Amino acid sequence: MAELNIVEKVIALEAVDLFKNLSGEQLARIASIAHQVHIAPGRTILEPKREVDSLYVILDGEVSLVRGTDVIHTAKQGEVLGSWALFDPEPMAVEARAETDVLLLKIARGDFYDLLSDNMQITAAIFTTLVRRFRQLAGS
Amino acid sequence: MLAQLSRFRRSFLDVREGEYGRTLFVSLYLMFVLFAYYILKPVSRALFVDRMDPDKLPGLYMLIAPVGGLLAYVYSRVTMQISLKAAVNAATFFSIGFTVLMGYLIKFQWEWTYYVFNIWVSMFSIMMVTQGWVLAANVFNTREAKRLYGMLGLGSVIGAGFGGSFTAFAVTLIGENNLIYFSALITLLAYLMFIGLLRVPGVNLEKAKAHEDEPEETFSFGDIMRDIRHYRHLQVIVGIVLLTFIVDVTVEYQFQVFAKSQYKGRELTAFMGSFNGIYLNLVNFVFQFFLTAAVVRWVGVGGVLQIMPITISMTSLGIFFAPGVLSTSLARLTEAATRYTFNRTGMELLYLPLPLDLRNRTKAFLDIFVDRFGRGFGGLFLQIFTVWLAVKPRELSLVILLFTASWSVLAWMAQREYLRSVRRRLESRTLDFEEIRISVSDPAVIALLETTARGDNARQAAYALRLLGETEGYDAMPLATSLAGSRLPDVRARVFSLAAQSADESLLPQALAEIRNARAGATTASIKPAVDYALAVSPERQDLAARLLNHPSGIVAEAALALQPADSITLEWVTSMASSPDGSNRRLAAIALCKLGDTGTPLLHSLLADGQLSVAEAALATAGELRKRIYLEHIVQRLADSQLRGAALDALASYGSTIAGTLRDLLEDPQLPASIRRRIPRALEHMRDQRAADELMAALSVPDLTLRAAVVEALSRLRRAAPELNFGPSVVDREILDEAKRYYVLSASIDPFRQQAPASGATRLLASTLEERLSTTLLRLFQLLGLRYPAAEIHAAHRALKGRSSEDHSAAIEFLDSVVDREVKRYLMPLLDDHARVLDRAKDLYGIERHTVESALRELIRSGDPWLVCCAIAAAAELKMSSLKADVLALEGKAGLEVDRLVAAWPN
Repeated sequence: MAELNIVEKVIALEAVDLFKNLSGEQLARIASIAHQVHIAPGRTILEPKREVDSLYVILDGEVSLVRGTDVIHTAKQGEVLGSWALFDPEPMAVEARAETDVLLLKIARGDFYDLLSDNMQITAAIFTTLVRRFRQLAGS
Repeated sequence: MLAQLSRFRRSFLDVREGEYGRTLFVSLYLMFVLFAYYILKPVSRALFVDRMDPDKLPGLYMLIAPVGGLLAYVYSRVTMQISLKAAVNAATFFSIGFTVLMGYLIKFQWEWTYYVFNIWVSMFSIMMVTQGWVLAANVFNTREAKRLYGMLGLGSVIGAGFGGSFTAFAVTLIGENNLIYFSALITLLAYLMFIGLLRVPGVNLEKAKAHEDEPEETFSFGDIMRDIRHYRHLQVIVGIVLLTFIVDVTVEYQFQVFAKSQYKGRELTAFMGSFNGIYLNLVNFVFQFFLTAAVVRWVGVGGVLQIMPITISMTSLGIFFAPGVLSTSLARLTEAATRYTFNRTGMELLYLPLPLDLRNRTKAFLDIFVDRFGRGFGGLFLQIFTVWLAVKPRELSLVILLFTASWSVLAWMAQREYLRSVRRRLESRTLDFEEIRISVSDPAVIALLETTARGDNARQAAYALRLLGETEGYDAMPLATSLAGSRLPDVRARVFSLAAQSADESLLPQALAEIRNARAGATTASIKPAVDYALAVSPERQDLAARLLNHPSGIVAEAALALQPADSITLEWVTSMASSPDGSNRRLAAIALCKLGDTGTPLLHSLLADGQLSVAEAALATAGELRKRIYLEHIVQRLADSQLRGAALDALASYGSTIAGTLRDLLEDPQLPASIRRRIPRALEHMRDQRAADELMAALSVPDLTLRAAVVEALSRLRRAAPELNFGPSVVDREILDEAKRYYVLSASIDPFRQQAPASGATRLLASTLEERLSTTLLRLFQLLGLRYPAAEIHAAHRALKGRSSEDHSAAIEFLDSVVDREVKRYLMPLLDDHARVLDRAKDLYGIERHTVESALRELIRSGDPWLVCCAIAAAAELKMSSLKADVLALEGKAGLEVDRLVAAWPN
């Protein structure tokens, strides 16, 4: 698959819950630090007990989330892996393994922080999303 | 004692130039009002007690509580609607008229007149006395009030004393009726003082309100009852307040019954006058000004709350064993005096454990309701005991003992909760001495703070030590000395800070040991306070500072450097430090250059570019201090670094507006990275002067939208921070019209996509981007309006227009219609209309035609706005609009990498 253009990346990033308060133009800034990654079938994307330093958006293919020997979910196009990795390096409790050829959009935490430091409005919008999420959690 | 007397004198007599007239008239006003009140009060009570049976007294208490409360409520509602001047006029003449009427009616000795008279006197105190203090609050500002309220209070005390003693003296000569008429005359004198006050230069009460318009803390009974059920501490407070007033009424009853048994007719009035006006006032005065603070310090909050039940118990025993006017007078004196002084102070502190909003609600509830309810309830108790159960006044003392025993238990529970609350706040380090004023002197609180300071929790211990250090009259040094060897650095840090404040040299050896043990790179909290302290108290501070300059710890060396005289720093030393591989040495060099001056210019360039954050930070601070243009380029470059941006902005702001023009050139320089240019408006804003504002105004027309937004935001903040600056109305108007035109153009572009409402893909992204652009354009437009018109109101109007309330929307339109200039309004108001009207006006005003999808996309592809161009090309590809191919291909190599990629992917 050819490298996505900026508009396609933005459309893919719209699926990320964390970014849902961002405008298209702000997403374009995030898209500028997002890189396409190809993973062969059977390869592990995220390992339990290993620090997570990136967020991944599945552009194509299927990824199994495995706890022990149980497959607890099969993630497909548009789903996100390591959605909190941009803020929290704690390892995921599950293993994420490519079931097919998988194409991912990867955002590294370091690049993301650099971007936030230069874009106060993106930071504010993400904080708003986080606070809403915490409120929902507290409310439930 | 001398100091106390001196403080006392200062608090009463510190009247300054320009305040004499106001102070004199307000003091005399209060004096005459209190004079009149202390005639009416003993006369009304004495007449009732003398002419009626004692068993009617409980009924009077039960009547005064609700009727007095209702009248007070009605009065406060009425005064909310009128000015203070009108309220004083109305209240005075109503009081005079009603007092004269009462004086006349009393002659007929009808039973109901005694009830009405007593209720009227309680109203008089609410209307005239409270109003006197409202008057004072409007005549003096807060700072004057702090100084002069003692003087005004003295006027009240003298008035009350005169009123009481005059009543005692005159009643036998002229009788009660004439005394009532006389009090009306005195009220008239008070009014003349008010007239005099109005003529004092600078006094203007035309706009003063008789009742504060501020929203008062409100409560609903349902909420309060729920709170009372929920909070045990609140139950305890309500219990104490109720008991206080039940006992108050019972003691007053005993006092009046025994007074009646001893005195008759005018003698009774004379006795009541002396008792209320002289003795009670005198005891209150002495307690309030000389004893309360000392007693609170001595016995603490818990002790203060026990004073009232214990003293009343003792005096009640006195009544039981030696019933008579002397013992009941003593009981009444003790009860009233301790209630107004010790108990009031203790109760204020008792609210501390309650959450703030609950505290405010509860206080309002207690002030308005429980106080009167307690008195009414006391009346009911008396009715039951004295009328129905025929308990003798002497035996009531035993009932009082039961009440005071319960009261004492409640006070003990309240104290326990208070201490628990102080401990919790200490743990969360939110104990605020401003808030709890006197309790800081409470021995129990002091003991708690001392224990915490000796504890193992570093932050709490340091916090407790700081609070003790701030406590007036408490010598924290003995405790600090014992903690100098603490294993907790935070505590040692606080110990050295306290020792430095006290200039106490005794801890110098410990501080030097702390410095000796400091390792390179160590950041222990106690190092810097130890160095500051050692250098502050050491007899050889210069030598010590010179020695510490070469200390391996950067913290120590920096503290020592701060004390070095400029001539003792050599260029050789700075050069060697600047070339050191150790970052803390290079940082030291950067700081030293600030003292050394320009001699080190070449060095500072390298330090400004240093890769280590702390070094570059110090170099930026030095460059800001030196204010040489030669460093500007390096400082501006540092704006790109998010970790140094704050220091770079501070440095640029230190230059002042002499570099404002240069900064604007940089802002408009397309060669400079956008990440730097976007920060420059903030630097100009920090300068806060006209020249910087002018440069920002000139930069308003910068074509880049992100930059323009940064400029507009900087201007908005600058206007809020420095409203006195001139923001060039004509320039702002021009920009408003430009922004309005942009809005019309965008509206036309978005129209075909709104009608198609694409659900997904690039076309939907383009549509949502255009909506977003419309919204930010409108925001910028309102920010610009905020530079021309009242900023807060314009901001509120923008919020209302974005909100869902149609009522707010209409109010915002109406507001804008009334404040905005006609020319601007012509372009602005249609924007706020519905979309179809916006398009019609776009055609009328600018000749902007409605678009088809194709023409809209063509215009967007040609717009030059990188993100809109990307979206438009992607949407055109998605919609397979081959007719736009020429426009798309024309962009190749001209609009940036991302556009090039999209152009390259355009289907052939």
